[in-house]
Amino acid sequence: MGGRVSRTLAVAANAFRETVRERVLYNLVFFAILMTLAGLLLGQLSVRQDEKILKDLGLAAMDLFGTLIAVFIGTGLVSKEIERRSLYPLLAKPLSRGEFFLGKFAGLAFTLLVNLAVMLLGLLLTLLVTQRRTDPGLLAAVYPIFLGLLLTVAFAMLFSTVTSSTLAVVLTVGVVVVGRFADVIRGMRDVAPAVPPALVSALFAIVPNFSNFDFKSRVAYGDVVPASLLWGVTLYAAAWLVLVLGLGLASFRARDFQ
Amino acid sequence: MTRGLSKSYRTGHIIQGRRPALVDLDLQMLRGEILGYVGPNGSGKTTTFKLLMGLVRPDRGEAWVFGEPIASRAWRQRAGYLPEQPYLYDYLTAAEYLDYAGRLFGLARDVRRRRARELLSLVGLERSADVPMRRFSKGMLQRAGLAQALVNDPELLFLDEPMSGLDPVGRRLVRDLILDLRRSGKTVLFSTHILSDAETLCDRVAVLRSGRLLSVGALGELLRLDPTHLELLAAGIASDTPGLEAARRVDLVGDRLRLEVEEGSLGQVVTAIESAGGRVLGVQPVRRTLEDYFFEELGGARSATPASGAGAWGEG
Repeated sequence: MGGRVSRTLAVAANAFRETVRERVLYNLVFFAILMTLAGLLLGQLSVRQDEKILKDLGLAAMDLFGTLIAVFIGTGLVSKEIERRSLYPLLAKPLSRGEFFLGKFAGLAFTLLVNLAVMLLGLLLTLLVTQRRTDPGLLAAVYPIFLGLLLTVAFAMLFSTVTSSTLAVVLTVGVVVVGRFADVIRGMRDVAPAVPPALVSALFAIVPNFSNFDFKSRVAYGDVVPASLLWGVTLYAAAWLVLVLGLGLASFRARDFQ
Repeated sequence: MTRGLSKSYRTGHIIQGRRPALVDLDLQMLRGEILGYVGPNGSGKTTTFKLLMGLVRPDRGEAWVFGEPIASRAWRQRAGYLPEQPYLYDYLTAAEYLDYAGRLFGLARDVRRRRARELLSLVGLERSADVPMRRFSKGMLQRAGLAQALVNDPELLFLDEPMSGLDPVGRRLVRDLILDLRRSGKTVLFSTHILSDAETLCDRVAVLRSGRLLSVGALGELLRLDPTHLELLAAGIASDTPGLEAARRVDLVGDRLRLEVEEGSLGQVVTAIESAGGRVLGVQPVRRTLEDYFFEELGGARSATPASGAGAWGEG
């Protein structure tokens, strides 16, 4: 058991190191520039108004940058290793395919966590420097963003094990976009009754509702997010993660590396 | 050890067929030997390695390493593998890569550091230990790949084309390394296109063609080591000197003659040379080489599969 964990962690540590060396975290520079410009420009508005906009902008940027990393790095996590055959010498060692797959996932998850943490600090710093309230309640929005990003990575890895990298990007973006409009799909029963209800139900069931992870506006307005809601979102994400990572792992295990 | 190990790959997109890559391979390795795995391109060498490493799954058949089925991971603790033309993470240095490989074997940090130092020195990369591998040449990558295969001090090594991409110095280094491994009691299975390497290094060779094992045995048994003819070098005579017709072949090499002579005609040819005022500089018995074996025994391979013709043997 200890060996499994340590091998998985070794893969995770290497995946994290890869993202750092491949300059994935450079997006933080763009975030810093965005926050600085926003802080300077919003000084003209009323204090209450600009604080809300600044939080909204910061959280949206975290979500966007995180999603871009999750999609584009996530789809290459395993497929690049297969294409370049760099996993051959690794899988010949006591490392199992499951340990490799989960290690890769954990490595990118840690990259996203570090990325979000630094961006959150940047947002808090911007609020502090521009003499606005530093709101610890922002965590209640950042945490669900992180859960959504984990799910995005899981989908990216699943698709990359069954199709090409390009198609995996398209499919992952598709799931994320449709998932963010899952409530709209559910509402189609009312606004477009011609669409077969079974189709609407099926579409709603096979795509996770990414809007469940969106607390940006509530937090920006200063609303308190109940802990029970965060627990519910955590369980929802965990259930989807088990399902999607399980499918990805099963597909990865079944593959022949020709 | 393998029994009936077979693998085929799918071909085509719309109308799908299957191309056999390996058919009913029965092969047993002996502890402490160097077994050369030789055959033309596409003969199934790399497929065999991939099957043993669990990178592809067999259609049928079984294989065991150290008495354990290949699907088990326990035996891997005692084995090392160098894939053909390895791609190692170019964002890592060679020392970092070896450290990573060592972690996968559960080696302690100080052991990993010591092994990395020893191995990089062994493969001649000690000066490049901290250089990112994206700056490595093909030969340097091959050496780093060899080092990672040795990180756990394995009892059994699978080396797929270990000489590929190496310059003469690198080849010599790998040859010496393999011989050192044998001296220290390791078992090595290595595939090669370079027949002279197989001749120099192997205790036994397994010959593969079109996915089928043609023969396996000691080189002496396969090659029938009796000299096939004699090679004679002479100076001070012309190629049309009377009496040289007894030679199988006469070539002018610079100001000397190189003659291929049957053992029974040697006396006649030497007399002819000396009678014409020439000098015999040397006589050498010539035995059948592994390359001769291939072109005689596998002659059909050249016409049957264009990709596996004579050119394939010239690689590397």
